[in-house]
Amino acid sequence: MGRMKFLCDIERCIDCSGCVVACKEGNHIPVRVNRRRVITIGQGQPGEKSISVACMHCSDAPCIAVCPVDCIYQRDDGIILHDKEACIGCGYCFMACPFGAPQFPSGQVFGARGSMDKCTFCAGGPEETFSVKERKLYGQNRIAEGKVPLCAAMWATKSLLAGDADEVSDVYRERVFKRGSGANAWGWNKAYKNR
Amino acid sequence: MKKILLPGLILFWAMTGLAIAQTPENLTTAYRQFNALFTGEWQQYGELFTNLQKNLFPRLFLLVITTIPVFLFLHYIAIGPMSFPHDGKRVYCYNLFVRIIHWMAALSFSLLVLTGFVVIFAKLLGPGYLGITARTVHLVSAVIFSIAAIPLFLFWIKEMLPALYDLQWLMIMGGYLNKEKKPVPAGKFNAGQKMWFWLATVGGGAMAVTGYFLYSHPGNIDILRLSAIIHNFLGAAMVALFLVHIYMALAATKGSLQSMIHGYKAEAELKILHPKFKY
Ligand code: SF4
Ligand code: SF4
Ligand code: SF4
Repeated sequence: MGRMKFLCDIERCIDCSGCVVACKEGNHIPVRVNRRRVITIGQGQPGEKSISVACMHCSDAPCIAVCPVDCIYQRDDGIILHDKEACIGCGYCFMACPFGAPQFPSGQVFGARGSMDKCTFCAGGPEETFSVKERKLYGQNRIAEGKVPLCAAMWATKSLLAGDADEVSDVYRERVFKRGSGANAWGWNKAYKNR
Repeated sequence: MKKILLPGLILFWAMTGLAIAQTPENLTTAYRQFNALFTGEWQQYGELFTNLQKNLFPRLFLLVITTIPVFLFLHYIAIGPMSFPHDGKRVYCYNLFVRIIHWMAALSFSLLVLTGFVVIFAKLLGPGYLGITARTVHLVSAVIFSIAAIPLFLFWIKEMLPALYDLQWLMIMGGYLNKEKKPVPAGKFNAGQKMWFWLATVGGGAMAVTGYFLYSHPGNIDILRLSAIIHNFLGAAMVALFLVHIYMALAATKGSLQSMIHGYKAEAELKILHPKFKY
């Protein structure tokens, strides 16, 4: 079985936030929860770069290590899912995660945190596949449908690659091979400056 | 010809080298910057918290609630409780106000301990809504405890100030290691009670602050991680002394519980256990 991975090609990402909106709308994410977000460095300067990040579906994931309910688990294909009905919203996974991926909707009694929510790689959750409950709690299960995740499917510049790690790195390698990377990448410098 | 070529070549290398170094499109640099933005100094507190929570905290709490009761039970069997005649003269020690806030603090603290354990061992004790409810009760109890602990702190602080003879008391473990009725060096409160007092009030304050952070999730995640670490260590210490306090009140000294209910202590008891107390 393959190992699912994301790769954001920062030479292509233009901070259009299509991935963020696609994820939010397509999965009916509650307010104030962002499963995916885009960060930009050097905004407005030459060489500005953006990257889109959600849950990294880590190997040896810190979030799994700290959860007191043991409700986060990793599938054989590397996707990390969690059981919202067992989660107690303690926030430990958020503190352990290097990427700030786990999110918490508020709006419970005293503004308390409810169950954690994070990127599911669009693979639903522990509920029965394609069930109404699964959809309601976790959003779409596109992996079971054989589709790429929403965010990766929506991308105009195809900078976000999602899927089997080998395939993803093949696509990326081919891209880099064709266009070069870093100083040799196609862009202003190559077209005009370094002639 | 050769004379021009060499400096020319060197100049060319130098310039291309410069061009590469200056280009802002260096991927590695960009990824490094992104990494700093996303993960920050995860290795500092993130990793520490992850390792502690994974390997230590649940075990520490398990150790505290298993070994301490065993020791206390052994003490009860091997040495046994102290009892004093309660039919003699009685001394009024705790007024109504103090007794009420003491029980307010006691009740809310017990709830804090119980709900705390529900969160720590959530897999066993309370997954899902049970755990979420426990967290809410934890919050409400914390507020009640704070309301009670502040006047309690102000009311007792003078008598709780450490004294030199507290060291002696600690050295002989308050005379609890044998059944001899020899006066021990203690004022109105002995060193054990003082330790519990300071841990519950000042430590309780630290628990309230870190707990507030854990509850409200402030912007800085490292503060959150540190709060979780402090909250857990301090919590374990408080649970440990809490268990000892309960044992002392319920079992180790007969009639000690009653004094917090009607306010009176037997003079015979005070002469041995709190001889420096001027009433
Ligand atoms: S939530 Fe964070 S720690 Fe857990 S798998 Fe995702 S990125 Fe890794
Ligand atoms: S918030 Fe939920 S998923 Fe995260 S560590 Fe706590 S119980 Fe586990
Ligand atoms: S994989 Fe699905 S859940 Fe994850 S960020 Fe993309 S759209 Fe959202």
